[in-house]
Amino acid sequence: MLKTVVRGGAPVLLWRAVLVGALLCGVGLLPWLTRTDPALTVLKARSAERDPTPEALEAIRSELELDAGPLRLLGAWLGGLLRGDAGRSWISGAEVTPSVLEALGVSLLLMAGALAVAVITAGAVCARTLWLGSRWRLAGRPSGATGSAFLSTLPDFLIASVLAAVVGVQLGWLPALGWYGPQWMVLPALSLGLPAGALLGRLLDDMLPGAFAEPWALAAAARGVPGRGVARQALRRCVPGLLPNTGLFVVGLTGGAVAVEQVFDIPGLGRLTLQAAVAQDLPVLQAGTTALVLLAAVASGLARLAARLLVGPALRDGALSSLHRPTPTRPSTLPLLYGGLLLGAVALGLDRDPVALDTMARLQSPSWDHPFGTDALGRDVLARVGHGAWDTLALAVAVSAAALAVGVVLGLLPRFSGPPADTVNAVPPVLAALLVTGVAGSGASTPALAVTAVAWAPLAAHTSALLQQERATTHLAATRALGAGPLYLLRRELLPAVLPPVVRHALLRLPGVALALAALGFLGLGAQPPSPEWGLLLSENQPYAERAPWAVLAPAAALALLGAVAVTAGGGVRLPRLPRPRRSGGAVFEGEMRAEHEQRSEEREPLAASSMGERS
Amino acid sequence: MGTPAHQPSPPLTKKETMPSLPRRRRFVAGLLLTPLLSGCFASGGEDSSDAAGGSRLRVALAFPPAENFSPYGADATLLSRLGVTEGLTRLDANGAAAPALAESWSRENDRSWLFTLREATFQDGTEVTPKAVAASLTHAARAEPATPALTGVELTAEAAGGARVRVTTSAPDPVLPLRLSSPGVPVLSAKAYAKKDAVRPVGTATGPFEITDVTGTTVATLDRFDDYWGGRAQASGVDAKFIADGTARTNALRTGETDIAEAVPVSQAASLDEGDRRETATTRTTSLLLNTKSGAFEDPKVRAAAREAIDTSSLAKGVYEGHADPGAGIYGPALTWAADKRVKPSGRARAAGAQGTTITVATYDNRPELPEVAQVLEQQLEKAGFEVKLEVREYARLESDALAGKFDAFVSARNTMLDTGDPVSILAGDHTCDGSYNLALLCDKTVDRAVSQAGSITDTAKRQGAAMKAEAAVLGTDAVVPLVHQRIITGVGGDVSGVQLDPYERSLVGVGTRR
Repeated sequence: MLKTVVRGGAPVLLWRAVLVGALLCGVGLLPWLTRTDPALTVLKARSAERDPTPEALEAIRSELELDAGPLRLLGAWLGGLLRGDAGRSWISGAEVTPSVLEALGVSLLLMAGALAVAVITAGAVCARTLWLGSRWRLAGRPSGATGSAFLSTLPDFLIASVLAAVVGVQLGWLPALGWYGPQWMVLPALSLGLPAGALLGRLLDDMLPGAFAEPWALAAAARGVPGRGVARQALRRCVPGLLPNTGLFVVGLTGGAVAVEQVFDIPGLGRLTLQAAVAQDLPVLQAGTTALVLLAAVASGLARLAARLLVGPALRDGALSSLHRPTPTRPSTLPLLYGGLLLGAVALGLDRDPVALDTMARLQSPSWDHPFGTDALGRDVLARVGHGAWDTLALAVAVSAAALAVGVVLGLLPRFSGPPADTVNAVPPVLAALLVTGVAGSGASTPALAVTAVAWAPLAAHTSALLQQERATTHLAATRALGAGPLYLLRRELLPAVLPPVVRHALLRLPGVALALAALGFLGLGAQPPSPEWGLLLSENQPYAERAPWAVLAPAAALALLGAVAVTAGGGVRLPRLPRPRRSGGAVFEGEMRAEHEQRSEEREPLAASSMGERS
Repeated sequence: MGTPAHQPSPPLTKKETMPSLPRRRRFVAGLLLTPLLSGCFASGGEDSSDAAGGSRLRVALAFPPAENFSPYGADATLLSRLGVTEGLTRLDANGAAAPALAESWSRENDRSWLFTLREATFQDGTEVTPKAVAASLTHAARAEPATPALTGVELTAEAAGGARVRVTTSAPDPVLPLRLSSPGVPVLSAKAYAKKDAVRPVGTATGPFEITDVTGTTVATLDRFDDYWGGRAQASGVDAKFIADGTARTNALRTGETDIAEAVPVSQAASLDEGDRRETATTRTTSLLLNTKSGAFEDPKVRAAAREAIDTSSLAKGVYEGHADPGAGIYGPALTWAADKRVKPSGRARAAGAQGTTITVATYDNRPELPEVAQVLEQQLEKAGFEVKLEVREYARLESDALAGKFDAFVSARNTMLDTGDPVSILAGDHTCDGSYNLALLCDKTVDRAVSQAGSITDTAKRQGAAMKAEAAVLGTDAVVPLVHQRIITGVGGDVSGVQLDPYERSLVGVGTRR
């Protein structure tokens, strides 16, 4: 049973093919699902000024042969695809294949740069834990710095705007515009890679203490393996759990880096598919989606391969230990501090009017009257942040919770959920929203549904990856040998081990969910101005990021504080469970931890025995 | 299976995987390099000073070519702004038709006009002959969907002996010379029409610059056309980059990557030095259109209440930061003749019935100022007692609902001269019972009569006067509340001169533009 988890067989391939087929059909039926006339959207994409006279619409319909109906069009497109012809764009009439390939190349290069930045960032985030861990000084220390949590919650477009304005324009160190050579890659790659790397780094940092607490680390230390070697092996032990998420990140960035592509004027796939989705330029949208879905399949295959290379034999033989912190992190006062700050700001803001305009007082810098300054219409930013808190948080928390539930449940069925997770993640967010709107109509709950439909994927991937490792642990084999049934295993062993890191992951993604909800506004979904919803605040103030940084920094800081609360309070999100012997691993070497361990000596005994056995 | 404690720990015992690390690294490095090798950067279009004199101009344009430079759609404006294409006529500062490729013209009878051509050559070296011109006009007239300036016009063109071309319309058309000034009716050589389904203006037009290379929708390279009838251009060529994001476009000018940046957004104007900003009043008017057919604004008294509640100067100063003029009428100050001929609207209803009336105001976010305008309007209307709900979407997702009358009010920015250059066509299209873009759903006999009367006048000045009377009739219904007249801000680098700042937004780079 364990082995089947690792291998993807024919049914998985078939399932993947079915999903891709369904997705392409969905794209092909998009205008008919959303009941938006493609002739109109194409006309407007060609020329915004053109009046939609019946004659003009009829001319477009006959030119694109829209009257043939969606199925014929889709069939013709698929037929062409088999011959290597992805059709012609409905807007420009140009061949689709070269333009999509060109954009894909640009996006892949951008993504590679971002990935490099992300790996370095993740390394920097984990450096402290690695250093301490390899020197056996980890236990009892509060979990890492919150700086990375702040960083991981910053929206990429904000970093992009700041980098373009400061490094590109004011300092003039690097080109801030275009895509003409390697030096043009630096700023966009930083904007995309920094937050993503911080997120991945946090997840990794979350697992590392567990790896250092495993018996092999103990044995290595006893054998005199230098700290660097132990750190490397600890990384090797933890990275497989993150590979699926890294794969998702790679694919998500290739098709979804719209904001950064816009700020730096990069002709990438994100902008191409966004434009095609809005204009309902189906051939381009279908070709772009196909490219992304294929990329997703390749990326997930590579991730699986890499995981097997790293810990494959151990997975096969069921010879892993469970990755848990040796001791629960001590309750820290930090979450209270951050939460207090956030609550304080919100409470202060609630006392003020969030919609009172004063166009004569626009973009004022922070003062006694307006502690956070004013926005482009002279509204008090503090008031808007305060009043937006409830809407933003209530919805974002609800969506995150739903995504968590779906993600964990589906994550428990990796062979079933792997392909849909890849596929959903590869779909550009706007297209996903349009498809959900098509199916569910544009009701009040549609934005939440649309975001949930995408947000579960990384959580499911994370759950699956952890579960795969957890199932290969030795203690599970033991429990099973003692006669435990699958339900018991799931309830008492697997879920308690997998849930805490996934919950922390979901909390880290909460700000991203809030932003994603706001990003759907232009489709007429979700919060509408003048609502002070935080995501909306960020996007409406983005054009003024250089002139009035406070107007974007305030909501961004609020989101970042939220992320910091999530990370620091993460230690507390553990489910109560029975103490298990193997948990206190490397703590034996911890001088300062001795006292605690004396009290729990009954836990330590078998493990001490095991390490003795290994050394002999 | 033994007890868990006695299982060997994998990472240390699996020694054979250790040497594979460098191999893997090489593999990853290879992966990272592959896209580099396949040339994933856009080609730069790097400029170099030409030996023939004059340096190349770098221009950042807002709208990328949507239809592969087809001259019958939105790309027509782009071609004309870059000095590539020309028509028989052009618009002068007073909104009258002026000679371009046609030296002069006369009206033969109700339905037929005679244009006399000047001596000129196409960029492919062939002569501009009456036959070629007639063929160009015929192609434009037959375009599907029709080119905007010729929508609803049936036109035939033929060579008429000497250097003359006869253009005949099926119905009397008093503004034909104005129509032919549209960028959507360019004169191209026979080579442009060689392919069956696409018109190629590359090297086939008559303007001072010719397109030599196009990179997707990011860059277009233009060279000077030395045999231009109006003299050799001062710049040796133009490198046009298409940068859709307004902030990015402004940054391009600030970092010196471009010489001219078109359409600097209001939010970025303050980041440019005052000397680098050129403001031009445009024919674009932002107005609030009230749904006269259904809902609260069916009642003219409520419409009057809305009009009285709105303070347009706070919009111009506040939202547009002074880069706009307060709404004076449908036609703004860019039309120099409008202010003198303006007629005061009469027969307006008395304001009443605002208290507690709930209304939905819709607008689109493709122009970033419009949601801000809508929010200021919301506050102003709420002060007058209305209860306002806003609806902001992407334009294509809003228009059909708006035309179907699903909203009570619509904030829209509209080019009042359209493509015809004729002031009457916007009134006919937007405010008459049969109008194809009648967002206010206005159907008023007085208005229809005034518009059809204006439409029958040939003389430019008299036609303008009649258009102003029709404007007064429209404003009298309170279906339209003009909010602001936008000015377009063009960013121009310090050492650039001769940029053509055109209120009709049809030209930008010309013979005299240089740096």
